[in-house]
Amino acid sequence: MSHVPTPTQTYDLSFARWVYGHVDGGDRLALCMQCGTCSGSCPLGPQMDFGPRKLFMMIRAGLKDQVLGSNTIWNCVSCYNCVVRCPRQVPVKHILQSLATVAVREGYPGARETDNARFAKAFWWSAAKYGRTDERLVTAKFYFSYGLSKGYRKSMANLAIAKGMVKARRMHLGLPHKCKNAGELKLILARAAEIEARHGDAS
Amino acid sequence: MTESTSRSRTILVVGGGISGITAAVEAAEAGHDVVLVERSPTLGGRVAQMNRYFPKLCHPTCGLEINYQRIKKSKRIKVFTMASVASVKGAPGGYAVTVRTRPRYVRPNCTACGDCGRAATTEVANPFNYGLDKVKAAHLPHPMAFPMRYVIDPAVAATAEGRAIEAACPVGAVNLDDAEGSFELEVGAVVWATGWRPYPADKLTAYRWSEMANVVTNVEMERLASPDGPTKGRIVRPSDGAVPKKVALIQCAGSRDLNHLAYCSRICCLASMKHAAYVREQIADAQVDVYYIDLRAHDKLESFVQRVKRDPQVRFVKSKPARIEAGAGDNPVVCGENTLTREVYAEPYDLVVLATGMQAATAEGEVPVFAPDLDDYGFIFPESGAIAAGVASGPLDVSMSVQSATAAALKAIRAVSA
Ligand SMILES: Cc1cc2nc3c(=O)[nH]c(=O)nc-3n(C[C@H](O)[C@H](O)[C@H](O)COP(=O)(O)OP(=O)(O)OC[C@H]3O[C@@H](n4cnc5c(N)ncnc54)[C@H](O)[C@@H]3O)c2cc1C
Ligand code: SF4
Ligand code: SF4
Repeated sequence: MSHVPTPTQTYDLSFARWVYGHVDGGDRLALCMQCGTCSGSCPLGPQMDFGPRKLFMMIRAGLKDQVLGSNTIWNCVSCYNCVVRCPRQVPVKHILQSLATVAVREGYPGARETDNARFAKAFWWSAAKYGRTDERLVTAKFYFSYGLSKGYRKSMANLAIAKGMVKARRMHLGLPHKCKNAGELKLILARAAEIEARHGDAS
Repeated sequence: MTESTSRSRTILVVGGGISGITAAVEAAEAGHDVVLVERSPTLGGRVAQMNRYFPKLCHPTCGLEINYQRIKKSKRIKVFTMASVASVKGAPGGYAVTVRTRPRYVRPNCTACGDCGRAATTEVANPFNYGLDKVKAAHLPHPMAFPMRYVIDPAVAATAEGRAIEAACPVGAVNLDDAEGSFELEVGAVVWATGWRPYPADKLTAYRWSEMANVVTNVEMERLASPDGPTKGRIVRPSDGAVPKKVALIQCAGSRDLNHLAYCSRICCLASMKHAAYVREQIADAQVDVYYIDLRAHDKLESFVQRVKRDPQVRFVKSKPARIEAGAGDNPVVCGENTLTREVYAEPYDLVVLATGMQAATAEGEVPVFAPDLDDYGFIFPESGAIAAGVASGPLDVSMSVQSATAAALKAIRAVSA
């Protein structure tokens, strides 16, 4: 009997190559030398399941489902610590956020369920509808995305903060702020969506 | 080859570190006249600033002393210290060179008795110890200086203190009228042996060397460990003089980093093995953690790494630390991700040593207009036709520098013999 193991997986670079070519900043990903500066710099590092460094190695290893299902891509808060410190000038943050978009587009379960994804959705809803973000509406939309009773509890828990913000004139009462020509904004966004869809097809 | 009206067979060597000294001695012993020009008050370069040097952990005197003897014996080598090259004109076989000199205020008849130093009261930052301590305005550059001659800081030359220093010299060697000067040379070849400087640690802002006393660089560590250093060879914390029990060595501090030096400085991994050894020899219960991306022990020196690895009190952590934070009791806290375990750590230390790399001395602002072609990092480009020895050509250790210096001597001999 031979003691030499037979690998069960072959080395498949197709996912990695797709990421290099289609993800924002992916063209520099191959330069990553696995030093750990990014994951060590990240304020959210300890909460991330993998952290950017390991995620990048997983991309190379072809672990598509684990990568796109990971919470690392959703925990990034765009602080840019990793981007300024990476010794290979890999735009870590851009790659994570772009992968998050891919995860949503590809319908990865859980991708829409993370706090960050919910918040991003609420934020975008307000920005697209009013051309502005309305603190109250964004927060409410975010809270109630968890369901009625959970949303209610979250709102009540933060009521004191909201009152304080109103007092400090950081949150307004009354009608939502709107941009001047919401109709034109809609046209711009529709055109952008068209371009994005085309981009997605090409991917 | 360009026709030149006045041809010279003299070889000029710029820089008197181990490489320049070697090139000069080799060329002279092969029968050529050599002029060796050194900017600082003494030969020896950075090697003189080491505590000991690998591979055999010898004291720098072993390498330097024998070469000083060879210089003294040779009738063909002229040494100029406190001198630098102001201009070079011409082509291989015939160069006109202008050398500019700074005043030393001390004549060759100095016996290095030290009376002038005792008469001096002003203290200046000590470049030999990278500013870790101060020296008298009249001082010997270091115990292994060549020439063995005192130097007086220009700041006191024209003062009452200067006159007191002059009066103190029993052999009348002090010359307060010494001034800047220049002279012309005709040479047939120029060997550039200008070496390196430590990459400025203040640029590594996340490691906070400028703010935190107990974060030092590897060149400072060499001085802390040296018997002729600021602590007489005792490795202690700069903040309080305490003996460090937990020491971190951080590799690639500024090397292999596109934001700093893009290249691998090649010697820092082994220099850190040396530093782990220094600490463990002096402090029996000390723990040393080496943070590395990957250890690059070049050439035949892997055995040294293996020796250090056998010490259970030296731990190797595969991680490039992300940052250093200030902890309690002036302890730097090293933060990052252990890339083998994925653990995100924040580890306090008594002392942190940054393994900063070697930057070409010709980099940044000091490149003379006549300088040979330099690569992106300030090292002399080999294809440019210029002759480079040692670290002027790229990051090398002493033995590789000496090999490159011997090769440079040969190239220079060929150029003047053509
Ligand atoms: C922390 C550390 C530890 C190290 N430890 C070791 C070790 O243990 N073993 C080992 O083999 N190597 C070691 N090295 C590497 C070693 O220091 C170099 O290989 C060596 O210094 C190279 O000598 P050099 O003569 O080329 O350059 P240098 O030592 O830099 O000498 C250059 C000389 O040229 C002079 N000069 C510069 N510019 C001019 C100018 N324009 N005009 C006139 N003169 C000029 C300088 O004043 C200097 O005297 C270490 C390096 C570091 C950073
Ligand atoms: S900091 Fe840059 S090189 Fe280092 S692991 Fe992260 S992406 Fe890779
Ligand atoms: S930009 Fe994102 S991934 Fe990078 S350190 Fe900040 S939060 Fe972490």
